[in-house]
This record gives sequence, C-alpha cells and structure tokens, in this order.
Amino acid sequence: MLTKKGKYGLKALVHLARLPVGQLAFVNDVATGNNIPKKFLDAILGELRNAGFVQSRKGKDGGYRLARPADEIKVGHVVRVLDGPLAPIPCASRTQYQRCEDCNEATCQVRHLMLEVRQAIAEVLDQRSLAEMRDISLDDLSVARAIDDLPVAGDIGDLPVAVKVQA
Amino acid sequence: MTGRANSIIIVGGGASGVVLAAHLLKSPNPDLRVTLIERRPHFGQGIAYSTLLSAHVLNVSAAGMSAYADDPGNFWRWLQERGLATAEQAPFYAPRSIYARYLGELLDELQAREKQSGRLRLIREESLSITPTASGVEVALANGTSVVAHLAVLATGHDEEPAQGHAIRMGSEADTALPPDAGVMVLGTGLSMVDAFLALEQRGHRGDIIAVSRRGLLPSPHRKGNPIKLDVADIPLGTQLSYFVGWFRDLIKENQKAGIDWRDVVDGLRPFNQKIWQNWPASAKRRFVEHTKAWWDIHRHRMAPEVYARVTEAVRSGRIRLVAGRVVDIARNGEFTVQVQSRHTQRLETFEVARIYDCSGIVRDISTSSNSVVRSLVDRGLARPDPLRIGLDVSAKCEIIAGDGTVSAKILAVGPLTRGTFFEIDAIPDIRVQCARLSKQLLG
Ligand SMILES: Cc1cc2nc3c(=O)[nH]c(=O)nc-3n(C[C@H](O)[C@H](O)[C@H](O)COP(=O)(O)OP(=O)(O)OC[C@H]3O[C@@H](n4cnc5c(N)ncnc54)[C@H](O)[C@@H]3O)c2cc1C
Repeated sequence: MLTKKGKYGLKALVHLARLPVGQLAFVNDVATGNNIPKKFLDAILGELRNAGFVQSRKGKDGGYRLARPADEIKVGHVVRVLDGPLAPIPCASRTQYQRCEDCNEATCQVRHLMLEVRQAIAEVLDQRSLAEMRDISLDDLSVARAIDDLPVAGDIGDLPVAVKVQA
Repeated sequence: MTGRANSIIIVGGGASGVVLAAHLLKSPNPDLRVTLIERRPHFGQGIAYSTLLSAHVLNVSAAGMSAYADDPGNFWRWLQERGLATAEQAPFYAPRSIYARYLGELLDELQAREKQSGRLRLIREESLSITPTASGVEVALANGTSVVAHLAVLATGHDEEPAQGHAIRMGSEADTALPPDAGVMVLGTGLSMVDAFLALEQRGHRGDIIAVSRRGLLPSPHRKGNPIKLDVADIPLGTQLSYFVGWFRDLIKENQKAGIDWRDVVDGLRPFNQKIWQNWPASAKRRFVEHTKAWWDIHRHRMAPEVYARVTEAVRSGRIRLVAGRVVDIARNGEFTVQVQSRHTQRLETFEVARIYDCSGIVRDISTSSNSVVRSLVDRGLARPDPLRIGLDVSAKCEIIAGDGTVSAKILAVGPLTRGTFFEIDAIPDIRVQCARLSKQLLG
C-alpha cells in the first residue's frame, strides 16, 4: 500500500526530475511546490539519499538533485525504499509478513488474491521509470480525472468521450 | 533478415554449447540446422569438466546439474539409472568427469536421433572469426574452410589464456613433476586453489602449500537446507550497493534469529540475482565487483562437504597456509623467492617455493582475450567489452552489442561471456535457463 511517505517521495523526485540535469533544488521549494510538510520531506530525502537516488549539497546554495538519470530510476525502486516490500495488504508480504488477527491465512481467499495483486503491482512499478512518470501528459491526467468523475453505477452510455477514445 | 533463423552455428562446444544445442533441437522444425564447433577433442567438457581426477567433484549437487531447464531431475536420474549414485546419497556431488560423460552421452543420443534429419552437425576445429554477411554469418575455421548460417551464438566460455609471469597453470605443459616435498605457492584461495590442492595430493605431493589472495578466504561448504522463499516485491532494487548490503545483512540476521542457516538466505536470493544485478546503477555494479564480490563468492559458490573437510584439515595441520595479502616481488634463483605483503599488518613476508600456480581466476579484460573469435569481433568493432570489462556487452536477449552500440541480430552469446549483463550466469542451473530462453526466442 502506498503510504503518504511513498507518495511524497515520488512527488519530490518528479520535481527533481523536471530540473535541468545537475541543477539543485531547495528543499523549501520542493516542499511548498508539492504541499509536503518540510520536516517530513527532510526525512524522506534523507532516506532517498541513503539508497542512492538523490544527492545533496549542504550550505547556502545547497539542495537536492537526482543521483542518476530519471530514466534509470524505476518507481518500484523508490517505493520499496520508502514503504518497504510491495504488498497490498500486510499479510501478503514474505519478509514483512504480518498475520491478520482475525483470519486464517491458509484458507483466506482475500490473501490469496492479494498475492496476485502483489505481482501485478511489482510488474507495473518496476517497469515505469521516474522519467515516464514525470512525462505523464496533462491529457492523460485529464482522462484520469474523467475516470474519477464517473458517476457511480452510471449507465455505460454516459461514459465521457475521452475515456472511450483512450481505450 | 526476414522470417525465422533456421540455421544456427554454436561456436564453442563446452557445457554451454552442448546445453544450447540440446534445447534448440527440442524444436520440431524440420528445417533447423545446428552446427556445433569445438576445438578440443571432446565436446561438453571445456575447462570445468575435462579433469579426470575423481576428487574433482562438482560444486553443485547432482539435483541441480540437469542440462535441461524443464527437467531439473535429468542428471540425478541419469546417475541413478547407471548405478553411479543411490537416492540415499543425496545431496550427491558427482566427479566432474562423470558430468562430462553425461553431457557426452547426451550429445551422442542427439546425434543418433538426428542422423536421418541431418539437423545436427559437429565440427572438431578451432574457429577463428565470425563475419556478418548479407544473408547471415560466415564462421572461418582454422583448417581454412568456413561454414555459413543465419546466425551464430558464441559459447566460448572461459578464457584459457596462459598464466602470466612466473606462475603457471596446473595441468599445463609447464606443470612438470615436482619433488614430493617441494614447497609450492598458489595464487588464489578459492575453488581453483582447492582443485590444485586435490590434484597435488593425488600426485603424492607432501610439501607445504602457501595460498595467497587479497583476503585469504576459503569458500564455505554446502549444507543440506531449504532456501528461504522470497519475492521480488521484498527485494530493494536499483539502490546503492551499501543500502542493498545493509538490507541483506539484516535479512540474514533476522533469519538466523529464527534458527535459519545463512546459506538458506543466500540461496533464497538466487532466483533474483540477475534481476538485482540488472537494476543496479553502474556505480553499484562497479563497487560490487571491486569490494563485495570476493565476500559474496565464498558464500555463494560453495564446495562439497567432503572436500571442505579435506581442505580445512589440511589448513589445520599446517599443510596449507592461507595468507591474506599481495605478492609484491618474485625473484628467481633456481627456486622462487616471493615477497608477500600482509593485508592486515602490511609487513613483508618471504617465501621460498619451487613452483607458483596461478589459480586466481581473475576475469581478464575481454579486449585482450586470447580467444581468436572473441578478439577478432572486438578488434573489428563488431563486439565490445561490457562497461565493467568482465565479459562481452550483450543485450538482455543475448545479442552482442557492437562498438558503436548497434545491437546485432546475427551474433549472440551465452554463458560466462555474458556476465556483464546477467552476472549470475557461470553455473549450469543458470546457463540452462538462459539456453532455454534463447531457444524460444530464436525458434519460437
Ligand atoms: C574448475 C571449474 C569447475 C566448475 N564446476 C562447476 C560445477 O560443479 N557446477 C556448475 O554448475 N558450474 C561449474 N563451473 C562453472 C562453469 O562455468 C560452467 O559450468 C561451464 O563450464 C561453462 O561452460 P562453457 O561452455 O560456457 O565454457 P567453457 O567450459 O569454457 O567451454 C568453452 C568451450 O568452447 C571451446 N572454444 C573456445 N573458443 C573456441 C574457438 N575459437 N573455436 C572452437 N572452440 C572454442 C573451448 O574449447 C571449450 O570447450 C565450474 C567452472 C570451473 C572453471
């Protein structure tokens, strides 16, 4: 499950990926530009630095930049570092496995399906690079908005045109 | 090239070449033509399986050594059918000469089966070069003839360059009889050093053996176990090396707390090693090769328990002395006077030895390869070393990459030559998977 930490981290990295290669960004700019609490962002960037995704420079002109090209960093790489093993539900992880208090894992169909979901998550996130995420165009974003705006249980005929075109 | 590649030349008939031929010939395609070229008198041996010494056993148990990716029990069954091992002996570490026999028989059977169809052709000759042509490739042979096909796969394996300087290779012509009490030095403390020790014992040698390497570490022994189950979702990919190593150490610690042996953790990671390698940034790969690989190798590439027992007994009794350090000087005065600088104390120590064996197994820069085919591809810009110079640069589909970055559709490579891209590709369990995949890619 993507936590707030994971989401903020990705947003910060997209911010850095937009800058010309090598240019540093002030933490404050990244925080205000993406609505991320500054303290939280400091911690997140520290972890990303330990894992080798960003570099920092101290001092007045200091700041952060990507440690390597945005097309070499996969979204899945980042999410594992910030949020731990990819898993839609804690009982569907091997190393961070947490038993659910209220069910028997051997017979739990939900967990079984979630194991499949875990594979799907890894497949998507390990294919997509930061560069691809950065370049998701506004068109795609408006489609996403249109999907979000779909009336719940609406008639199929009511689908906005944009969604049909996209398919 | 349009359509399917029906004719394929495999250059190099060691284990990889034979395993690839076997997978290709699973295809029902009647027009398929596979030509296997090997310069040694026997196919399926290479350097790994040409030893006749019964003490030289496989370092992977029989259950892991099948030639077929989709039939992992093939070798283990073969052994039992011939009465060479019984089920109770598992995990069984067969002599490597027996493995050569297995691959030899496998090839004989393929030859017999394909006699009518003419789909398999074996050539005992050295190959000198591969040249792309309009319709495919032409492979020149040392006897002045050449063979053509739609494409060629390099399976030339390990470089067999003669040792440099005063050191010689075990079993080479320079390896003449020694007085039984002569002191010898072995450069390297890994599996090749162990091979050398076993060969010396067999010859009745009793003198001291000084084994020197940077860290002076002996490989670990195998132990019966069950690899832990991991998932790609658990493994940090694409991070800096230190981050990954930290994660891995923690994983081992946690498992040890639960009473699980570190070997089961190392082996649990194995299915993901290629993926981990491929996702690392170039800097992590370089650091790994320079600093971590030696440590990794002694944990990952282990030896049969009986062999380990013999070696550690020899170390305990003082027959073998392991030295962590660097050879700084070798002077010749009939014998050799070797100065070694200790890794820990920096002090120099002097050894008098009658012979120096090169068992360092250092991977040499491929652009200075002694192999004519590899060398000529690199010299003509048709191939290039991978960024770390531990093999040839190949794509994830095994296609070789030219000096200018062009991916070749006609020349491919398998086995240890591709370690820059696949990393975990030295041993049969990985080679057979690569060959199965490549066969599918080429023949559908
Ligand atoms: C001492 C040793 C022990 C090992 N033990 C094990 C083990 O127990 N289990 C395991 O899984 N792995 C083991 N390995 C790993 C080993 O890398 C592989 O199992 C296997 O030997 C790789 O085979 P290959 O055919 O790719 O390379 P090689 O064994 O090097 O064979 C290459 C072949 O190509 C031929 N050739 C090269 N150039 C030409 C040319 N120009 N023209 C014609 N022919 C050419 C060579 O003569 C040779 O026969 C061992 C390796 C070594 C060195």
